Amino acid sequence: MIKLDPRTKLLLLLAEAIVVLGGLGGSSAEPFKTVFMVLPFLLLFSAKKVRTAVIGGLLLGLGLAAEFIPAGHSCSIILLMCSGILTRFVPSIMMGNYVMSSTKVSEFTAAMERMHVTQKITIPMAVMFRFFPTVKEECSAIGEAMKMRDIRFGGSKVLQMAEYRLVPMMTCSVKIGEELSAAALTRGLGSPVKRTNVCRIGFHAADIVMFLLCAAALGWIIWRSVT
Amino acid sequence: MTELKDVSFSYAAAPEKGCIKHMDLTVPDGQFLLLTGGSGCGKSTVIRLLNGLVPHFFEGELSGDVLIDGRSVPKMELYETAAMQGTVFQNPRAQFFTVDTTGELAFGCENQGLPEEEILSRIDRTVERFRIADLMDRNIFAMSGGEKQKIACASVDTAQPPLILLDEPSANLDYASTMQLREIIKLWKAEGRTIIAAEHRLFYLWDIADRALLIRDGSIAEDWSRADMDSMTNEKLAEYGLRSIHDTDPVTIELSCSRSEVFSVKPHKKFTFPTEIPLHEITAVVGRNGAGKTTFLRHMCRSAKRSRRIFMVMQDVDHQLFTDSVLEEVLISLPDEDEEKAREILRSLDLEDYADRHPMSLSGGQKQRVAIACAAASGRDILLFDEPTSGLDYEHMQQTAQLFRQLREQGRTILVVTHDSELIEACCTDIIRLE
Ligand SMILES: Nc1ncnc2c1ncn2[C@@H]1O[C@H](COP(=O)(O)OP(=O)(O)O)[C@@H](O)[C@H]1O
Ligand SMILES: [Mg+2]
Repeated sequence: MIKLDPRTKLLLLLAEAIVVLGGLGGSSAEPFKTVFMVLPFLLLFSAKKVRTAVIGGLLLGLGLAAEFIPAGHSCSIILLMCSGILTRFVPSIMMGNYVMSSTKVSEFTAAMERMHVTQKITIPMAVMFRFFPTVKEECSAIGEAMKMRDIRFGGSKVLQMAEYRLVPMMTCSVKIGEELSAAALTRGLGSPVKRTNVCRIGFHAADIVMFLLCAAALGWIIWRSVT
Repeated sequence: MTELKDVSFSYAAAPEKGCIKHMDLTVPDGQFLLLTGGSGCGKSTVIRLLNGLVPHFFEGELSGDVLIDGRSVPKMELYETAAMQGTVFQNPRAQFFTVDTTGELAFGCENQGLPEEEILSRIDRTVERFRIADLMDRNIFAMSGGEKQKIACASVDTAQPPLILLDEPSANLDYASTMQLREIIKLWKAEGRTIIAAEHRLFYLWDIADRALLIRDGSIAEDWSRADMDSMTNEKLAEYGLRSIHDTDPVTIELSCSRSEVFSVKPHKKFTFPTEIPLHEITAVVGRNGAGKTTFLRHMCRSAKRSRRIFMVMQDVDHQLFTDSVLEEVLISLPDEDEEKAREILRSLDLEDYADRHPMSLSGGQKQRVAIACAAASGRDILLFDEPTSGLDYEHMQQTAQLFRQLREQGRTILVVTHDSELIEACCTDIIRLE
């Protein structure tokens, strides 16, 4: 398993967003684009998130394959759009998934502290790590309950369906968000005392490789756009 | 010493309704105090007054003073109070800050800025005393309710606060996990910590507490000493609207009926589940955490999907009320949306007054009743319930039992997964044990 420092992961996420999602550098950045498309999947595999990686890989493959369908079809425009969306978004989402699932909350706060980010920004971001999986759990519970209640799809009820799903999700999320903050506050979160962080973070060989990769990509894009 | 001095409080959301009224209370160091009373009497609010969430997080009108070791909680900042007390909350899903167990145990100490070696040695000590080595370095999302609650207790323990507060910590636990919680509380008591627990499941704390308070309508109605508690009987407690102090393990209860008519369930691939359910009876399904009780209910639903005979009410009612009024909720459950029929069902379950209320504005017990009304409205004849009385007080538990009996008289079959031996005694006619 490759162990990266949370700061490296954030840099990778940023690079991913710039090179693949943002498409900066256009066609001249093509070689790096390929590297950054594959990288999140390698990282996910190294973190043993095989299922996520395979699903994402299939989606990305679908997007890439769609580009090879000969033009001239009536629906080729739509196909091209879908393929563009998939190839751009899937790698970044995979990278985000990797960062969220492989970083512990205390590692994240330690890293932010080393970068001298204030607690006012760190704490809400740290809460996200916990909040998203919680909301996901809630959502699937609600979905199951709806199936049980046999709430009917279609017809005049499409809008109501959305409402039925959103209302309990919002109330549950708000309630859980409130309970989470209350519990954290009774345990001293937000104290002006300097926090300890019981975790080892720091840069190792793998981090340096990733840094060099990002620097090379950036250098390449700048150099190609100047010349 | 922990003191409430003539404390009155009303929440900003409901200013006209006083929630705590002129409460005076002194808890000497090392005492284990049990706070009890029906839902909505103000137990949680007392706990919040002591940990500072009232008035710092839940705002409202406060008079009087709350003191821990002579320091005023309302005047202190929350992070100062944090070092003096530790709280275990009711909902195991919503009291963790981190995602991994080890980080969670360190969290309170990290906030106090203790040195790293100290934190690590405290974690080691707690892990050993609580015997939770197998729970370390795990994802909290992949844990059972009982395990989560153990981690919650352990993370309070590492911070070593002199005052420990518990707010219905057993509400979502089965019998075995509740008994483990009891052992943890005994450990704290032996160390001389002051413990204040709000709870309406009394059986696992009654014999180890030093004193018990009955709270009614925001005031102390009774203050029982150890001697008073020893001479207390279940009958007397029932008059006060309190739960039994006897610990009956639901797994040991014997019940049986004739089983003349049965519903057959297909065998499960992995578990060996019972294949016959007695019809027109109220059957309790009991077993330890992890015995597959919920899996059994799901399996029943799935295997009888096409026949549309089964309706299941899940444990967390918040997830299954979708609409903006109680009436609408029943309407969408009816096979044909007939308002007259919906009102009739509400009337028969004593819910007609709430017809126009938003389901989310109801209390836990009322929501539970609405969920039961939806089950009744569905027109299906086999109704499954997963832990319908966890977190309900005596009165609401009896109400639920009454509803079940009513549904049975209408010819329905009820299957209820529960660890509430009082509910079983109050209404069940048969029992199924899962190993
Ligand atoms: N956050 C809140 N806002 C407004 N009212 C509340 C809030 N929390 C509790 N209450 C009300 O205060 C009363 C006491 O509640 P609580 O202390 O939770 O009782 P208990 O824990 O004994 O069930 C109830 O009537 C309840 O509706
Ligand atoms: Mg309460």
